[in-house]
Amino acid sequence: MFGFGTFTYDDEGYRDCSVTGLRIHRSAEEMVKLFGLTAILALLIGGVFAILVALTRWELVGLLAPGAFYTVLSIHAWNLLIFWMIFMEIAILYVGGPYVLGRPLSLPRVAKTGYGLMLGGAVTINVAIWLTEQPDQAPLLTSYAPLPSSPWFYLGVVVFLAGALVAALPFLATIWHEKREHPGTTLPLVAFGAFITSIVAAEAIVGGLITYVPTLFWRIGLVEHIDAAWYRQMYWIVGHGSQQINLLAMISVWYFMTHVVGGAEVASEKVSRSAFVLYLFFINMGAAHHLMSDPGVSAAWRVWNTSYAAYGAVIASMIHAFAIPAGLEIGRRKRGEGGGTFGWLWSAPWKDPGFSATILSIVLFGFLGGITGVMMGQMQLNMTWHNTLATVGHFHATVATGTTLAFMGLGYYVLRLVFGREWIARPIAVVQPYLYGGAMGITSLMMMYLGILYGIPRRHPSVMDIPGTEFGFTAARPLFVIFGIAALLSIVGGALFVLVAVGTLLGGDRYEGALPIDRPTAVADGGDHDDTPHHLLSMRGTFILTSVFLGVFVVMWALNWYLLSQLWQVG
Amino acid sequence: MMKSPIEPPEGNWWNEKVNRRETIWLGLSGTWAVTLFGWMAGWMQFGEQNQVGETLKLSTAAYREKVDEYKSAAGEVDAGLVPPGTDVYVGALRYAFDGLPAVLETGTEYTFHLGTYDVQHGFSVRQEDTLSKQLSLQMLPGYEWKVPMQFDEPGTYHVVCNEFCGEGHRTMHATFEVREEVPDTAETAADGGGSDAAYDGWLTDDARGGAASNWDGSPTDATGTDAVTITVGPDGEYVYDPAAVVVSPGTTVSFEWASPTHNVLVESAPDGAGWGGHGSIENDGFSVEHTFETEGVYTYYCEPHLPLGMKGVVEVT
Repeated sequence: MFGFGTFTYDDEGYRDCSVTGLRIHRSAEEMVKLFGLTAILALLIGGVFAILVALTRWELVGLLAPGAFYTVLSIHAWNLLIFWMIFMEIAILYVGGPYVLGRPLSLPRVAKTGYGLMLGGAVTINVAIWLTEQPDQAPLLTSYAPLPSSPWFYLGVVVFLAGALVAALPFLATIWHEKREHPGTTLPLVAFGAFITSIVAAEAIVGGLITYVPTLFWRIGLVEHIDAAWYRQMYWIVGHGSQQINLLAMISVWYFMTHVVGGAEVASEKVSRSAFVLYLFFINMGAAHHLMSDPGVSAAWRVWNTSYAAYGAVIASMIHAFAIPAGLEIGRRKRGEGGGTFGWLWSAPWKDPGFSATILSIVLFGFLGGITGVMMGQMQLNMTWHNTLATVGHFHATVATGTTLAFMGLGYYVLRLVFGREWIARPIAVVQPYLYGGAMGITSLMMMYLGILYGIPRRHPSVMDIPGTEFGFTAARPLFVIFGIAALLSIVGGALFVLVAVGTLLGGDRYEGALPIDRPTAVADGGDHDDTPHHLLSMRGTFILTSVFLGVFVVMWALNWYLLSQLWQVG
Repeated sequence: MMKSPIEPPEGNWWNEKVNRRETIWLGLSGTWAVTLFGWMAGWMQFGEQNQVGETLKLSTAAYREKVDEYKSAAGEVDAGLVPPGTDVYVGALRYAFDGLPAVLETGTEYTFHLGTYDVQHGFSVRQEDTLSKQLSLQMLPGYEWKVPMQFDEPGTYHVVCNEFCGEGHRTMHATFEVREEVPDTAETAADGGGSDAAYDGWLTDDARGGAASNWDGSPTDATGTDAVTITVGPDGEYVYDPAAVVVSPGTTVSFEWASPTHNVLVESAPDGAGWGGHGSIENDGFSVEHTFETEGVYTYYCEPHLPLGMKGVVEVT
């Protein structure tokens, strides 16, 4: 497809991947390319608009007037939080299903139909936002009724969501065919993760349709009234649910990439799979944290939802936080690449952007995104986070640092293993994950500080001077300077990824299949490895690292509660 | 044996032993989750900050009436309304907080009533001197949320809207003041001493609210005509057009709404003038007229958009 690939297929449409050992069918590969490239296009659009957003909020520049700012912010949000993510996630489903299982993609026409709907929806949404006129308002991500947006916007959302649902069907059909043919075989862990991802995705998308179809009817006048509290509760099924698709897809990518590039193995199938099952049951409740400071829901509802989200989903995430580095540790110890406590880390391929992006994604997601998510998900702490710039910091830590970095890491290997092309501009590719991850990490952190310590509201083009008043948030100016510089640097980091990706597609050499480290499968299949069962291998390095994480978690949690306790009495 | 995440696990993988450190981590994670929940539930009982309170469902119009009743019962000092009891009503609308500014007392538990007249808004409050002391509560149309609050530290508290409500969102701001003691509500603002600027600078930002963006320093002269039209919010802009108009006694001035959610409140009028403006918020298509007989300067403004400089003048000579 597109003439970008260098691989040839046998008569049955298969080829063997020399790196992963996977048997890959052309039908899946074409769709992975199509969805993957569209995702990168959305990343490019969203990134361009990020420049305008950052240069407005950094008021030293103060680029845009309010009306233009909200339009630009909406396009930035929809392209990066929704289109970049969901196009990529469909590609990941097709990797996690047909690729990993060595099957053709079932129902390829349905996949193409889904793609067509998603693309049509995405274009409609972008155009509708761009052409928004009074009394319609830019929708931002949430399009909170009863503030009206263009009717075309709601229609675009419905079409896009329906398309994503359709595009997930071929994956499910592939799994179904596999289980019919091999009823006694367990799915590989990555395929299992992708399967759970697809269910969580379907829940989110159905929630989205339940929200947006009535909202469309309301906007075009078929329904007279729309209840704001109903809208919020329904909206967040897809609003946060879509981000939980990111989470699960990202974790599947973590398992995949640490294995393929770093030589990780599965520490415990039982534990990792149980964690995925916990997500299946609990993570959607996590969306309730958007309603923690809302009048529409009772205190008992709020505490109950926060609690079982904490029990279920937080534990699941903490399990993966241990299991993935532990898999890397024992995988590398087994093949003699890990002396001492941290030798397995020092010897890792840090100059491979596929590896460094994955590890940075894990670390930054955990420390910045995961911890803050739990903070703002505690009912009372939510008051100090709600709708401040700190929430924006949280989801830039999760989505823009965590998930985007993971997908970039995967993207590097999609270029090699799917398109069969070696990266161009290798030195740029080597530093890109560090530049992007580091700068975006600082950007997120600054937003969190600005939100929590200065109460800077989100969705304001300017806060230094509130028109018609003598009040402004001028005390926060120094932090905004750091924010502005870091935001621009992270955009440069993102642009370098797009540059390397597009350059590689157009002019990369043929990839010859040698990884910078010993290929894990080859080493493991050779005779020179350790046969000790995994539960007896040392995970002490991982245990120290995760203990540091838990320590930071507890300290941050205590600080947040301290800050809350300084407030006046409420309730 | 290699355990790859991209190959089916072999044998009875469910019964394989779990590494001791991984088991310890599972225990730590479980304990931590229970702690998080327990602390939150405990804070409900023993903590002082819990955003809980009764919620009523009612129409936006009904809520607006409640706020109006409250406002007429409240006393007034220079810095704002003094609640008649311990209830404080706040009605959010694009782009103002009706019911604020207010003056409150330290140590009294007030019940804040939070609701809106149009779309969703945010009630984000912070202490002027310590910005980190801040909280945010959601305000929804169709709901009245009663949240008790008690302030121990005197000072000015700034409220900004932090739920996107339209293009003027960032201008939506109000204050309330917490004092050790609330004075009797007899005092009134007396702003003697005239100014050289036209209409005492009412159309500039020297007066309350922002500067009228379409005010170029000289009024439109319409003396000698019988009828004059003032457009309220032309093209969605937050202005009266013309900003100032000079008419002869007996002229009928017609206010015509060209965009939603505006009103006309009288800031000052000559003694004996019978003009009351138009206090309720109206949308495009609405119009109201008044015949001006008494000579003098009438200043007026739009309540929601005062901070944006939506102010006007009718001068009768």
